[in-house]
Amino acid sequence: MMTFISPRLRKPAMYALAGLLFAGAWLVHGGRLWWVSIPAVILTAYHVVRLYRLGGTDTDEGARAGSRADERQQLVSLRSRALACNLTALTSFIGLTVSIAVWASWGWPFLVTLLITGYGYLFGLGNYGVAEEGTPDDEDTEHDARFPLSS
Amino acid sequence: MRNRIREQRRQRGLSQAELAAALGVSRQTVISIESGRYLPSLPLAFTIARFFDLTVDKMFDPDDEETGA
Repeated sequence: MMTFISPRLRKPAMYALAGLLFAGAWLVHGGRLWWVSIPAVILTAYHVVRLYRLGGTDTDEGARAGSRADERQQLVSLRSRALACNLTALTSFIGLTVSIAVWASWGWPFLVTLLITGYGYLFGLGNYGVAEEGTPDDEDTEHDARFPLSS
Repeated sequence: MRNRIREQRRQRGLSQAELAAALGVSRQTVISIESGRYLPSLPLAFTIARFFDLTVDKMFDPDDEETGA
């Protein structure tokens, strides 16, 4: 579906969708706080417009916002997300440990987050090729792989 | 890793933005590669070398001080 949307509109569209879902949740089940959906929509609209304008600028942030990042910009983004995931896992571990130490019932979100990040890491290892051990060259070939130049 | 991108680009009278457009990367990435802050991927290194009609090893030289070799 994303291929039908202009690259510059992709990120703003995603933020608009997320913001409208958040606002809709407040409107439907917010009770007396239903009005929170109004500032949520306003903030979403502001952020979407800001993101769209940023996507037109000749900067690294603009390239990411406009979904036209090249390999270096994608690498920077990937490293930043990896750092964010590390911090999330660390924070979750600390939160879970503290909740156990004080025997509190609010520790389960930390446990869920820790499990998701841990599973995501293991899934990534398996998905991105760490499991492809292969066989040594010596077992695959009849030639002497150690001394290819010897006759 | 040292490279000859800036030198080759100036010889051909290209701006960083023009080179970036030709290589399909951003101007900021060309700046980063020229200054040695970013090492391009192998496909991009080949694209750069071919653009300047040079081989990759002529375009990129290992810097002894940085690699520790």
